[in-house]
Amino acid sequence: MNSNEAIVVCRCEEVTYGQLRTTAEEHQCTAREIKLRTRAGMGFCGGRTCRIPLDRIIEDVLPNVSQGDIPLKYQPPIRPVSFGTVGEKND
Amino acid sequence: MMDVIVIGAGPAGLAGAIASANSGLKVIVIDEFIKPGGRLIGQLHQERSGEWWNGIEESERLHQEAITLSVDIRCGVSVYNLEKDGDLWNVHTSIGTITVPFVLIATGAAEYPIPLPGWTLPGVMSIGAAQVMTNVHRVQVGKKGIIVGANILAFAILNELQLAGIHVDRIVLPEKGPLSGKAGEPEEVMKSLLHAAHLAPSPLLRIGSRFMKNDWFRKTGMKFFPKNGVKVNGTPLLLRKAAIEVIGMKQVEGVRVADTDANGTIIPGTETVYEADFVCIAGGLYPLAELAAVAGCPFQFIHELGGHVPHHSETMETPLEGLFVAGNITGIESGKIAIAQGTTAGYSIAKHAGKCGAVIDEQLNQAIQNVRLIRMQAAIQFNPDIESGRRKMSELWEKLYEKPANLHSTQKLG
Repeated sequence: MNSNEAIVVCRCEEVTYGQLRTTAEEHQCTAREIKLRTRAGMGFCGGRTCRIPLDRIIEDVLPNVSQGDIPLKYQPPIRPVSFGTVGEKND
Repeated sequence: MMDVIVIGAGPAGLAGAIASANSGLKVIVIDEFIKPGGRLIGQLHQERSGEWWNGIEESERLHQEAITLSVDIRCGVSVYNLEKDGDLWNVHTSIGTITVPFVLIATGAAEYPIPLPGWTLPGVMSIGAAQVMTNVHRVQVGKKGIIVGANILAFAILNELQLAGIHVDRIVLPEKGPLSGKAGEPEEVMKSLLHAAHLAPSPLLRIGSRFMKNDWFRKTGMKFFPKNGVKVNGTPLLLRKAAIEVIGMKQVEGVRVADTDANGTIIPGTETVYEADFVCIAGGLYPLAELAAVAGCPFQFIHELGGHVPHHSETMETPLEGLFVAGNITGIESGKIAIAQGTTAGYSIAKHAGKCGAVIDEQLNQAIQNVRLIRMQAAIQFNPDIESGRRKMSELWEKLYEKPANLHSTQKLG
């Protein structure tokens, strides 16, 4: 295996460059789909670290797609919070 | 009830809070970090005039001014959601929900990495992390470092590390490929560095700024780029060497590099290892726009501004009633611009709140002029085409929101 294949791109969910690349090539998918298929960007940091590398992989694999066409969804909570906080039960 | 919540106590947020409070509004500022100032507190550099820009002093000045105006500043608090409820905004934070008519999002920027083999080893950090450890926490990041990635941010922080007595051994480029983009192409890097040529005391780069904007000269310049690099503040900048891997058993022990041709393609058989005990990856900055996105604000991708930015006017309002933005969330620029934009947003909010009568128009107008003036005077730009990016946004705003009865489509994130 090429050493680049083993680069961990999403550190929170430990998803490698090889996995992302294969998934993107096989499914010709959007950033959102690659996230759902691999969990890249769904970890503790909320994708703040790997968002741009993910976009770049998609941009490279899909013809005629540029970073500007890749809106990766944001969802609340955008920071890790306890169930108690979300439920407004603060002590 | 509070009138305004400012999210982010950096230069834009504090300046916005000050302007709003000055106009008679009750303001609360929330910040995730343990102290106010944002990325301002990492900054330390000498201006062309010879004066020093001390970010810690600047942020202390803003902080004191805000306190004098009775601004309520809460640090160590996170905002995890933002939603409209009738005429008001519900801001969900780790200390409960705050309801206000006006929100200023001043969340700044985030760094993006250039992942490479071995980048998860202890001792590898983003260039911004090295800055925070050095200037904010006063922790020595290591004894001998290598920076991967040559850009303005890397040079600025290189200088700060040197001021702190930390030895940065070399600057190399990342390996060319999808993950590094233009940062791995020597010629592209050279092109962007030429705009900051006065920072590099190297004849090649300085001469470059005069005539190397021509493609032919640039290619020639790359071909003859010295193998041992040119020195930036005494640290060799090696545009023709690419980092292939960070090596080490339990922590960073070095970086494996290879020579490249003028296009950044690796020349086989040229691999060597540079020893180091820390590595800084200088990817770049992008606007941290999560909150504007969950609030439902429309976005536009503008490369010159650093990525997806929320639609906004020159008065810093968004298309969503009561939602304002300032600072790097609107595009990657300096802390000084952020302060000026924050002031603009603060007065803009006061105007919408019906404060200060006729004088507010004058104050707002002056604040907008001030943003333009500071941008014009800026010695360096993170993106040399920033003006063009700003123009694109203002044209977009005019087209979508200023011409009445114009059905328009907008791009949302998600």
